[in-house]
Amino acid sequence: MTMTDGIKRRDFLKVLGVTGAGATLTGCSTQGVERLLPYVVMPEDITPGVATWYTTVCEGCSAQCGMWVRTREGRAVKVEGNPNHPVSHGALCAKGHATLQHLYNPDRYAGPMVREGGTLRPITWEEGEAMLAQRIQSAAGNVLYVGQAAGPTMSGLVDQFVGTVGGRSVQYDAVSSAPLREAARIAFGVNALPRYDMGSARFLISFGDDFVEYGASPVAHQRGFAHMAAADEHGSKGRFVYAGPRLSLTGQNADEWVPIKAGSEAALALGMASIIAGDGAAAGPYASVLAAYDARSAAEAAGVSEATVRELAERFASEGPSLAMGPGVGSHHRNATAAHLAVLILNAVAGNVGRTLHLEGGPNSAARPYSEMESAIRAMAGGQVGVVMVHGANPAYTLPQSSGFAEAFGQVGFKVSFATAPDETSAMADLILPDRHFLESWGDSMPKAGVMALRQPVMQDVPHFDSKQTGDVLLSVASRLGSPLGAVTFYEYLRNAHQAMHMPAMGDFETQWREALKRGVMEHDIEMSGTVPELRAPDTALVFDAPALDGDGDLTLMVYPSSRFGAGEFSNAPWMQELPDPVSKIMWHGWVEMNPATAEARGLREGDIVTVASSHGSVDVPVWPYPGIREDVVALAMGGGHTDYGRWANGNGVNAMALLPAVAEQPSGAFVTMATRVSVSPTGQRRRLATNDGSNGDQHDRPIAPAMALADLGHGGGEHEGDHGPLKELQGGGGFIPVDAEGGAPAAFPLAGAEYGQYADKENTARWGLAIDLDKCTGCSACVTACQAENNIPWVGEEQALMGREMHWMRIERYYEHVDASEASHLDIRFLPMLCQHCGNAPCEPVCPVFATYHTPEGVNAQIYNRCVGTRYCANNCPYKVRVFNWYRYSSENVPDPMNWQFNPDVTVRDNGVMEKCSLCMHRVREAENKVALEGRGTIPGDGEIVVACQQSCPAEAIVFGNLRDPNSRVAQLVQSERTYRVLDEFINTQPGVNYLKKVTFHAVSGGHE
Amino acid sequence: MATATKERGALTHPDVQHLSDVNRDVLKALGRPGKGWWALLSLCMAGMGLFFAAWGWQIYRGIGVSGLMSPVGWGVYITTFVFWVGIAHSGTLISAILFLFRAPWRQSVYRIAEAMTVFAVMTAGLFPLIHVGRIWHAYWLVPYPNSRFLWPNFKSPLVWDVFAVTTYFTVSATFFFLGCIPDIAAARDAAKGLRKKLYSLISLGWRGTDSQWHHFGKAYIFLAALATPLVLSVHSVVSWDFAMSIVPGWHATIFAPYFVAGAIYSGVGMVITLAVPMRKIFGLEAYLTTKHFDALAKLCLLTSMIVLYAYLSEFFIAWYSGEEIERTAFWNRLFGTYWWATWTMLVCNGIVPIMLWFKRVRYSIPALFVISIFINIGMWFERYVIVVTSLHHEYEPWAWGIYRPSIYEVSILIGSFAWFGFWFLLFTRLLPPVAIAELKEVLPPPLRKQAKEAH
Amino acid sequence: MSAMVKDGNVLLASYEYLDSTVDAIENLRKAGFKTVKAYAPYPEHHIEAALGYGQSPVRVFTLVGGLTGTATGFAFTTWTSMDWPLVVGGKPIVSIPAYVIIAFELTVLFGALATIIGLFILSRLPDLKPSVIYDPEFSSGRYGVYVEAPAERVDEARRILNAQEPAELREGTEAAHA
Repeated sequence: MTMTDGIKRRDFLKVLGVTGAGATLTGCSTQGVERLLPYVVMPEDITPGVATWYTTVCEGCSAQCGMWVRTREGRAVKVEGNPNHPVSHGALCAKGHATLQHLYNPDRYAGPMVREGGTLRPITWEEGEAMLAQRIQSAAGNVLYVGQAAGPTMSGLVDQFVGTVGGRSVQYDAVSSAPLREAARIAFGVNALPRYDMGSARFLISFGDDFVEYGASPVAHQRGFAHMAAADEHGSKGRFVYAGPRLSLTGQNADEWVPIKAGSEAALALGMASIIAGDGAAAGPYASVLAAYDARSAAEAAGVSEATVRELAERFASEGPSLAMGPGVGSHHRNATAAHLAVLILNAVAGNVGRTLHLEGGPNSAARPYSEMESAIRAMAGGQVGVVMVHGANPAYTLPQSSGFAEAFGQVGFKVSFATAPDETSAMADLILPDRHFLESWGDSMPKAGVMALRQPVMQDVPHFDSKQTGDVLLSVASRLGSPLGAVTFYEYLRNAHQAMHMPAMGDFETQWREALKRGVMEHDIEMSGTVPELRAPDTALVFDAPALDGDGDLTLMVYPSSRFGAGEFSNAPWMQELPDPVSKIMWHGWVEMNPATAEARGLREGDIVTVASSHGSVDVPVWPYPGIREDVVALAMGGGHTDYGRWANGNGVNAMALLPAVAEQPSGAFVTMATRVSVSPTGQRRRLATNDGSNGDQHDRPIAPAMALADLGHGGGEHEGDHGPLKELQGGGGFIPVDAEGGAPAAFPLAGAEYGQYADKENTARWGLAIDLDKCTGCSACVTACQAENNIPWVGEEQALMGREMHWMRIERYYEHVDASEASHLDIRFLPMLCQHCGNAPCEPVCPVFATYHTPEGVNAQIYNRCVGTRYCANNCPYKVRVFNWYRYSSENVPDPMNWQFNPDVTVRDNGVMEKCSLCMHRVREAENKVALEGRGTIPGDGEIVVACQQSCPAEAIVFGNLRDPNSRVAQLVQSERTYRVLDEFINTQPGVNYLKKVTFHAVSGGHE
Repeated sequence: MATATKERGALTHPDVQHLSDVNRDVLKALGRPGKGWWALLSLCMAGMGLFFAAWGWQIYRGIGVSGLMSPVGWGVYITTFVFWVGIAHSGTLISAILFLFRAPWRQSVYRIAEAMTVFAVMTAGLFPLIHVGRIWHAYWLVPYPNSRFLWPNFKSPLVWDVFAVTTYFTVSATFFFLGCIPDIAAARDAAKGLRKKLYSLISLGWRGTDSQWHHFGKAYIFLAALATPLVLSVHSVVSWDFAMSIVPGWHATIFAPYFVAGAIYSGVGMVITLAVPMRKIFGLEAYLTTKHFDALAKLCLLTSMIVLYAYLSEFFIAWYSGEEIERTAFWNRLFGTYWWATWTMLVCNGIVPIMLWFKRVRYSIPALFVISIFINIGMWFERYVIVVTSLHHEYEPWAWGIYRPSIYEVSILIGSFAWFGFWFLLFTRLLPPVAIAELKEVLPPPLRKQAKEAH
Repeated sequence: MSAMVKDGNVLLASYEYLDSTVDAIENLRKAGFKTVKAYAPYPEHHIEAALGYGQSPVRVFTLVGGLTGTATGFAFTTWTSMDWPLVVGGKPIVSIPAYVIIAFELTVLFGALATIIGLFILSRLPDLKPSVIYDPEFSSGRYGVYVEAPAERVDEARRILNAQEPAELREGTEAAHA
């Protein structure tokens, strides 16, 4: 029968539909690539295939960076920094990216549940709230709310709630800056964290403050640090000295390392201060304190030479503007406040207050101290608590056994947890009312004085999990108790709060609110008091001596927050587990850091499993010899050894808290992390470490990550090692003669040999490339996770990582050139972000039998996954080893529902048996190219229109993407720098499209290809 | 007529009197197989079970069941591939080249050697398939017209391989079969029942008429003439899989001759390994005399010296180049993680063959057998050293890594010997193991004159 | 296609000795017999000489096959490269040195196959029809001489064959077809 007779248009369409569906089903070889959402009624803001962006605020840590969330078909697929945010300025750290894996974490609570006889029974929200209200009623005012640092409005609501129902609220955050705040109060009477203006400092000394890893705002600090420490075009460069017993990632970025004894920060700072003060600087009320210190006493206490102390003091005073930063969480010992005070005094006598160190008051971003928690625990143990509610915090894990939290908590009659996903504390709770993930909820934050950032839901709550924002729960419970708090939903409450703060002078609230949601922040200029606060006489007695340590072991234990897990919050994010730790480069499992000499003295080798024992407990953990730690110190990272935190966290690493006493530092009340000595004894077992470091940080004198002495800047580079010298050719009688190397400047494209065939006439195409400034790179690894999130890169798990099969398209190589833990000296550790170099003469291309990889007219080394047969010849022939292979179906086997919701629909999900590698974010390039084409602006997007994932998230702004062929592009400009080199290019003439700018050192770079 | 007999120097035993004795002795081998043969066959079939089980699981689960990783993307599979291709070489070499040079000792051994060649290529051919990540797409290496007109990349040594190995297999198999035809006819005339039917079929109705012999002779010479450069080319192409790359330890101009020599060395070694037991089992002492083994041993000695020279010159050039990365690569070969593999290779291929300088060793069948085993081991490790030690320690220190073969790779390696053995055992029972017609060619022809004088 | 010989006979003698075989053949040919054929257990050039063989045309097949292979090798690789030009490793789209290898392999392959085809055509193989004019001894130890004689010359042929003391002499009317 034909179209005309009989067959109806509708039937015809049906047939079409069916066959179409069939094609879709059969056509897709990989499961769970993307859920197809049929739109009957098109939701607003959603156009299939077009991304929608929402602003919000990151809750990964207390820094609260501004976020831009990219959503596709109603799913959040990528988080990026919000460029409008006055603190984070558009960058984001690795943890920030990993918050997506909390949103889609399959271990999240499926809904409200009540514990009956040890097992959890699902209930409705109705029942749950009724139960809670009833219990609170019967608790008769004995309610305890254990929270964590939250936005101002939420904190306000909590206080109001607790006030209404009777009881109290405490906050606990394992990573706290209480001692600094207390010291600032004592020294200047300002009850707030000082704000560091690193950008304008020229001489920076950190007494163990690890601002790259954690603290007030790692992203902002890195940005400022890069600005201060990186050599500028005038060949000027700020100096960074790190004084501490262990080189953290921050420390690895220093120009000099003063390996002082643990807990001797105060002595060194005061010694320096007294030398400077001796030269007439005003020490105010602390002159008497300083009088007790001099170069010798400082040198003795810190275990360094007098000369070092003097030199440091002189340069601190002369090479200004200078800035000193006090001990970080890793060195919170029993005299931490005193140490911070000493550092503030040093800053004061050097005249840094008001220049590089600002005391504006402003937000209270430091969590309230552990001492509050102590009393709360006593109250619970004493049976004075009827109902305890835990929100955000996970004290059962982040506090040592000896704190007695678990026991006390267990004795409380009714325990409520608002945890989004299971944790050690909620494992003991009677009622579980899962909070929403911050990407699904409302809120606000005040990153600094005069700035209010709003948090809004970027998508419908993930349907797998029946969650409810805790704010809403509190409001409804309050009204059930007959005392409504003036709003039905938290959204309403939030709006009211902001409306209340709203000043008519700022115009109509509604429009301003809308604007704020769009930009993500509201800034109202508040007038700063121009007066610089003076040092005040201390109102508290402080001892500046070395702190007391428990136990009689011969090694001091340092417990520091992990740059991947924080205090353990991120342990169930596989991206974080598989991200090589920026310092140790170890994935998944735990380790104890120990100086190689210490290890050798004990006959320990890398991978030997040892028992680290203190008087409070012990853990078994493999040894990782680290030249960047003093011989009398061992260090453990926080975040390991979870027991009830989810499939990826449980059993990975050890919980260092087991070794610590529960001590509150006086007077700040902060939790003491450097509290005890430990002994280390071998267990006789060994294990291989899951690291991606193939050469123990040694680049064997090869020009992989060369450097250049500051003194040589501006002298045309000269014959520096690793210089991109001319190519040489063998002459008849043997020996080499230089020849004029084409592609000596990458802008000269098409490269020699690459101008064949149809490529010759591609004059109107770009030559995409990268420039990476190694003097800016801090090795923080945010780019690695950003790349992983953007490009659907699967994680492989510990067992596969041990085999060397991790899939990252980018890795940060970390090479030690000079690290000396025995005395103060220059430090030279090089970071190199290694990714596909997009070679002009790519060795990987000609060997592929099926053209699965080839060179595009835009100079990109393309990889066509669907054409790949999997001979792995390309990977063998890649001198940079940046090609990774899908040994199994990682993308489908390792990524459970709903985590696959995070997959980026613009990027193919790779199947078993194919090779893959950096695509230079080709999907972003195409998007931009289509855009300019549609807008009739030619074919090549303008400079800066394309921002690749790694570049976008780099807090140090070390990565620049652009068109090398356009002489005015930023990247082409950078490539002209005398620091520019291309890895191994002068050896094998690969002519990479990725250019590096050498790290600049103060010391002369010693010979060879160091 | 007397002149006709002069040029003939048969290397056979004196008690082979009459032409028909050859049929008697050789065809005896095709008789009822003994227990030993069945035992070996079942052993091989068990091995094949292991082989296909391991391979099947790898296809189902993913190539990850191997120990391969980054940076070592090639391992036991490629090693074994090159090993078997190497084994395949001496067959056609002994057969074709010695035929063209009229080497008098060729006739007795070449049938075994050619059979070995054909089966070795059949084994080698499996390994690229075992090795790739997506075997279900392996046919993409073959140039066939498809809807999108995607053609293979003829610049890639792997595509050269596809052509070289398939050509080699086709030509060797043809050459082998052609040589068999007259002997199958002989077997046919001696056989009864089913075997007779089978032989009549595969002997293509050969009758040994003058015209058949005439064209047969010419065709045989031309095939030999074509096969000879082919033998040399195939392993050169295989060597370019490595030499065409930029991997330190692979990128060397010496590779082609070095690999060819190695291939002949290992091939002849394997011929000895196979010929010794066959000689015993089928009582072919009259045809496989110590003179033949002496000749084979000399060939081993020559090629072993070439191979050793290649090893040494590699190390020397690495040092002489002054190229730090090249030097490190070879230093690492001798004293790095895989030192044991390198030293196994050097001892088996460089030291052990020195014994072949002694006539007494060359004439002692047991000694030769033992040495040939060493040769096989040594040559496998040579390829392992080239593939693995070069890859695990390349340009980028950060990316250095250690490769540990998995149980699956080992199973497939062992299974490949079973697969080879299976076919070879079938051969020994179905085809005359020694070239009947050609042996007669070198026997003194029966002459009436002499017979008369004898009486 | 065996056929009756027009009012005549075919004779097949088998000999123990080479020289008698060769003599028989030579005598038959001297006597002017047209179709004389020989059987041997191995290639025996004395017999071929006696039968006056020249060069075998197999070599023509080999040559043509080989040259076809070479041409195909270069043409195919070049065409496929131009058909979809892709730059790999900055090498020319058409890289002749690389293609030499393909051309070489195809030369050998085509050459070898052509040779076999040539052999089969020229020596009429395969031929699976059983033939009476054959003796299993020919593949073992004996030589054979076959001659077709018109009726009037049968005796003469028999005499020549018997002169060399054949181990066996058979006669029939069915002509061999090879």
